[in-house]
Amino acid sequence: MKAPRRLFGAMLAGALAALLPGAASAQGQLTVYCSVQEEWCRPMMAAFERATGIRVSMTRRSSGETMTQIRAEAQNPRGDVWWGGTGDPHMQAAQENLTVEYRSPMLSQLHDWAVRQAEQTGFRTVGIYAGALGYSYNVPELNRRRIAAPRCWADLIKPEFRGEVQMADPNTSGTAYTMLATLVQIMGEDPAFTYLRALHRNINQYTRSGAAPARAAATGETLVGITFLHDAVTQKVNGAPVELVAPCEGTGYEIGSMSIIRGARNMEQARRFYDWALTAEAQALAEQAKAYQLPSNRNAPIPPQAPRFENIRLIDYDFARWGNAETRTALLTRWEREVRAGAR
Amino acid sequence: MSDTAIVFDRVTKAFGTVRAVDAVSFSFPQGALVTLLGPSGCGKTTTLRLVAGLELPTEGTITIEGRDVTRLAAAERRIAMVFQSYALFPHMNVLENVAYGLVVNGARKAAAEADAQAMLKTLGLEGLGERLPSELSGGQQQRVAVARALVLRPKVLLFDEPLSNLDARLRRRVREDIRDLQKRLGLSVVYVTHDQQEALAVSDLVCVMRNGRIAQMGTPTELYEDPADAFIADFMGEANVVAGEVLGPGRIAIGGVALETRMRDHPAGRAELAVRPESITLLPGGEAGLPGRIQRAAFLGQTREYEVETAAGVLFVVTPAAATPFAEGEGVACRLERTIPLRS
Amino acid sequence: MGALSLARLALLCAALGLLLPWHGLEGGLSEATAWPGGAAAPLPALLLGGARWWLWPVLALLALAALPVLRGRAPGGTLTLAGAGILAWVFLMGEAIGLRGLEWPWLAPLLGAPPPQPALGWGALFVLVAAAGLFSAGIAARGAFRADAFIAFLVAGSALLLFLFVFAPLTTILTAAIYDGERFAPDVLAARLAAPEAWSLACLATHEGCGVVWNTLLLATLTATLSTAIGLFFALLAVRGGVRAAPVFRAMTILPLITPPFVVAMALIVLFGRTGIVTTFLWDWFDIPRSRWIYGLPGVLLAQVLAQAPIGFLLLDGALRAISPSLEEASATMGARRFTIFRTVTWPLLKPALAAAFLLGFVESLADFGNPLVLGGDFDVLSTRIFFAIAGARHDPGRAAALALLLLALTFGAFALQALWLGRRRYTTVTGKGDSGLPAPLPRGLKLGASLVVWPWMVFTALVYGIILVGGFVHDIGRGDMSFTWRHLVTAFEVEWQGGPALRGAAWDSLITTVEVAAIAAPITAGLGVLLAWLIARQDFRGRRLLEFMTMLSFAIPGTVVGVSYVMAFNVPPIELTGTALILILCFVFRNLPVGVRGGIAALAQIDKSLDEASATMGAGALDTLRRVVLPLMRPAIITALAFSFVHAMTAVSAVIFLVSARHNLATVYIVGRVEAGEMALAIAYSTVLIVIMLAVVLGIEKVVGRAQIGRRAGTSAARAAPATAPVRAGA
Repeated sequence: MKAPRRLFGAMLAGALAALLPGAASAQGQLTVYCSVQEEWCRPMMAAFERATGIRVSMTRRSSGETMTQIRAEAQNPRGDVWWGGTGDPHMQAAQENLTVEYRSPMLSQLHDWAVRQAEQTGFRTVGIYAGALGYSYNVPELNRRRIAAPRCWADLIKPEFRGEVQMADPNTSGTAYTMLATLVQIMGEDPAFTYLRALHRNINQYTRSGAAPARAAATGETLVGITFLHDAVTQKVNGAPVELVAPCEGTGYEIGSMSIIRGARNMEQARRFYDWALTAEAQALAEQAKAYQLPSNRNAPIPPQAPRFENIRLIDYDFARWGNAETRTALLTRWEREVRAGAR
Repeated sequence: MSDTAIVFDRVTKAFGTVRAVDAVSFSFPQGALVTLLGPSGCGKTTTLRLVAGLELPTEGTITIEGRDVTRLAAAERRIAMVFQSYALFPHMNVLENVAYGLVVNGARKAAAEADAQAMLKTLGLEGLGERLPSELSGGQQQRVAVARALVLRPKVLLFDEPLSNLDARLRRRVREDIRDLQKRLGLSVVYVTHDQQEALAVSDLVCVMRNGRIAQMGTPTELYEDPADAFIADFMGEANVVAGEVLGPGRIAIGGVALETRMRDHPAGRAELAVRPESITLLPGGEAGLPGRIQRAAFLGQTREYEVETAAGVLFVVTPAAATPFAEGEGVACRLERTIPLRS
Repeated sequence: MGALSLARLALLCAALGLLLPWHGLEGGLSEATAWPGGAAAPLPALLLGGARWWLWPVLALLALAALPVLRGRAPGGTLTLAGAGILAWVFLMGEAIGLRGLEWPWLAPLLGAPPPQPALGWGALFVLVAAAGLFSAGIAARGAFRADAFIAFLVAGSALLLFLFVFAPLTTILTAAIYDGERFAPDVLAARLAAPEAWSLACLATHEGCGVVWNTLLLATLTATLSTAIGLFFALLAVRGGVRAAPVFRAMTILPLITPPFVVAMALIVLFGRTGIVTTFLWDWFDIPRSRWIYGLPGVLLAQVLAQAPIGFLLLDGALRAISPSLEEASATMGARRFTIFRTVTWPLLKPALAAAFLLGFVESLADFGNPLVLGGDFDVLSTRIFFAIAGARHDPGRAAALALLLLALTFGAFALQALWLGRRRYTTVTGKGDSGLPAPLPRGLKLGASLVVWPWMVFTALVYGIILVGGFVHDIGRGDMSFTWRHLVTAFEVEWQGGPALRGAAWDSLITTVEVAAIAAPITAGLGVLLAWLIARQDFRGRRLLEFMTMLSFAIPGTVVGVSYVMAFNVPPIELTGTALILILCFVFRNLPVGVRGGIAALAQIDKSLDEASATMGAGALDTLRRVVLPLMRPAIITALAFSFVHAMTAVSAVIFLVSARHNLATVYIVGRVEAGEMALAIAYSTVLIVIMLAVVLGIEKVVGRAQIGRRAGTSAARAAPATAPVRAGA
């Protein structure tokens, strides 16, 4: 009679111990959902803890997963700040009223594109970095095939690239959707789809994750990978034999964003993080973490390896229009029907 | 304290729509060995399990030793049971098996084992305490099962076909052992079997069951010599059932022949009559009796068996080997020593 | 245990519950200092303060039950009513009045505008357990469960748990299938279930991909067929082939169990990707053009067969051993040739085991998430499609729910087919008697064929696991940089010595949480599973089948669906668990429960019921019987369940990806992050550490099992139970 009770008691005690949260610090605490790579998330949080004494609990997930999490938790939010990750889901969260308006005093120090995005969403999100869309190619593979180095979007539909281009699936990846929207904005909707159908013949795989083509190009699994350029830079810095291309026709970009979650339990700390994350010092941490995006604070140092916007023909990407859920669904449906379903 | 051991009052046990035990009422006296006898599926095992508390009745009340136990679980009834398969715990040695009941009822381990040791001695099992059940012979296992039941000093002891796993010679010894023990300890025993010989040999009372009801209850002699109907007459041993007429006390007519016989009082008129094979005496043809002709004869060592064709049909006759033999085809006269008029 | 004793215990529990804080303590123990006021107020304080006036009926019902019990009576009707009433009332009010006050507006005329009501806490937990106790005492007093209140409590308790943690979350998410956004629209369900994305057959005629259901079915069928075939060849060679490598085969069966998700897929890419080691070798030496064949059906299939073939072997090896050689000898004496014997005797006797191996492979393939995610390429299956319908760029919970229903239907269909098959035929050649006689050797052709499959496959397996072993210790295996380094292990598991060990490595947090959570979940899973098995196999009560179905249900649900459903169901009062370790533990417990239940039922089938009954007639209550007779006899099954649930908890991914939090991260989720970031080496290094831990645990447990064999009979029953408990995991 006694032994199983003791055992059960021990189990209960164990479960209890696991349940009890740690002691809160005097400065309060903060829960951050982080959607960039782990190497960047960790030093950011550590630096913030050092700077403010606020204890940070950080969870890293991809932006899609974080969005799902925030949606599921909407009734009783667990997170305070959502930091990082491509802008689309942030704007969607703003649209779905999952995040709250906050006008940071730091807004004045930011680049125009960041401020514009904040204005478009009623100050529910703000840009923290930007990265241009482009592609990277594997140099040894290219030389082996004696193909001229590609420079434009148009180069990618040439027959010599047949089965050698990789991009993500816009249904699962924000990166690929950005590309879809970019091409439509550059070429107009119908020519863009003509182009995509032609490109489809050269695609070897639609990956699920946006950064995967950059990796595939780095290892030579594919010749060309369409991706955000900073993802490709990371590979190059790690020693991969890749070259980056910002297409000559011009290209779109993403704005990595930050939002405060509606119903945040630590609103005051969340605002402090928000302001701090927009400072030049905080954004300077990116380089150490091998993150080569363009910081949104005008005074923040730009990593030397980062693809500079001045050297890239950036289009005037209309985030409000192309981030809209209906436009998105319409584009994706058309892509699914006219491009994906086609023969390769 | 009442002088009845077990009382059933209109007890019914239904499994779905099947009434395994159907409104059964009986009262078993204390200190007697009562056998539940019947063909398989007659409800005898269910009745035993109802006594044990392994089944709870659908309707009716059960009283053991003056206590209403209808809703009590098996563990609370202070009975003991010996199972057909013995149900010895394979992971405990013999001593632990026997001491088990004492231990779970709160006895100290040392005291329980001393008691168990004594009981093993009583049953001639000393020296086997350390063995595992799988290391014992069938007869030894059976005695361990009995020891395990008796050590609890139950008022009521239940046996579920305890001999069915033993070979024929062992059976006889074990059933006598059980009977001796029961008498020596003054136990009230309920004993389930489908073997009428076993029932006749050990019982104070036999309770024959059929289709979930009690067909007849009485001493072995009563049941054998005075069965209530053809079913019991046949079940309690071989019987020739013939149609005849009761003429008066001790006088009957079969096949148109008036005969003298011993029988209980029965109103005059047509009746079914049962005659045991051994209560027919064969006389040479022409003597007084029912005339017949030997159809088949067989010599079995201790007895001879005949099939005799008579006006009332073929009679099965068993005579002592010492009696005069008859050959096949020979004419004989049958004298009916005892006849049993059956209630239809 | 009698009804009255249970009712008394329940009242004691309720009294304790009335002293503890009624609501959950968000801020942890620091808030408990406010007791008996503030956030830590117990129920009586809340009632008297008027803050929770709608909970008065709880106290009233408790009093109703307490009055007779204190006078030593246990009136069935009253206790049942009080117990059921409290349970229903607390949960209904918890749903009706939530964090934002009234949640069910139609109750406004009755309740007015009540203040917000946070989640239930320890006090409520005790009161609810007490209510379940009162309810059970009540029904036992009325004669249910053979008047055994303990059994009644076990059944009622586990039914309540299963309802709360399996059924309720599942319904929460599956109802999404009949909603179009916020609008109730049952008609969209039909459209979603019949969607061309699921059922299109375009691949037959055109270059388009086929529907995802067909893809899933094709993959599952191929995986099941191939892994059964390879498993069979291994088993034939091990049992009948006179091969000395049989112990190696058996050692290999442990591999898929202890392999974390993704590693095999990563190793396959390293080997067979376009720039993979093997591919490059073939290109350099034989001019075989490099291609991307590994991405898509072939790659996923390969990875799944790698995982399933050893399990097929495990099942078939047992079955082949169980075939009594005397049957074959009998056939031989009748003049049959080797191959005829094999075809007419051995093969038919193997059929049930073949079916079991096939089903297992099929179901595992349906549930697999990690391999299609990494290797799938354009080839989509249901499990990944569901994940991206929930977490992808196009969020559509309705579509996800409909796809989940389809996946559920496939799984149930497979189980139903097996039940149909097994229900009709049962071959038992295991008699328990030692069977002498020599097994017939394999026909020569068959042996040659088997060898041609087995040895290359062994080499292949060794290659894959060799890569996993090496991958963690070289600079970058993905790009072929094979120079040795400790770098990855140091990054993950660095320990700094500053007056004491300080765990600096990035992976320590998740590793410690993982081991902790798995170690807590495993005994609960095994215990609850075996308990449920005992109830299902040994107790006769109405609703027994339903209970069994509920335990098996979590088997069939894809991990992603479970994860999201847990977040949706347990993020808001009355039960608020998100962000705690408890939700991870619960998720593992109820997800791995079928392993314990199946193992338990199989083990109980070997234990004669009269043993329980004998114990009962000797005066042992259900608890004593369970503890002294049933559990000791089931020890091998319990330990097996323990090992499986521990290992499954260590390798689960899809179910927990949404349940981890900052404080409670898990190893596998960390690995997913590494894979996403392209850091294969770090992911592989971490996986190696996990493999070592799991290997240690499994081998340790196996050692204990070796000692646990009691007597001859228990020994053989354990051996026979083993194949039946073979690992089935629904979605890593």
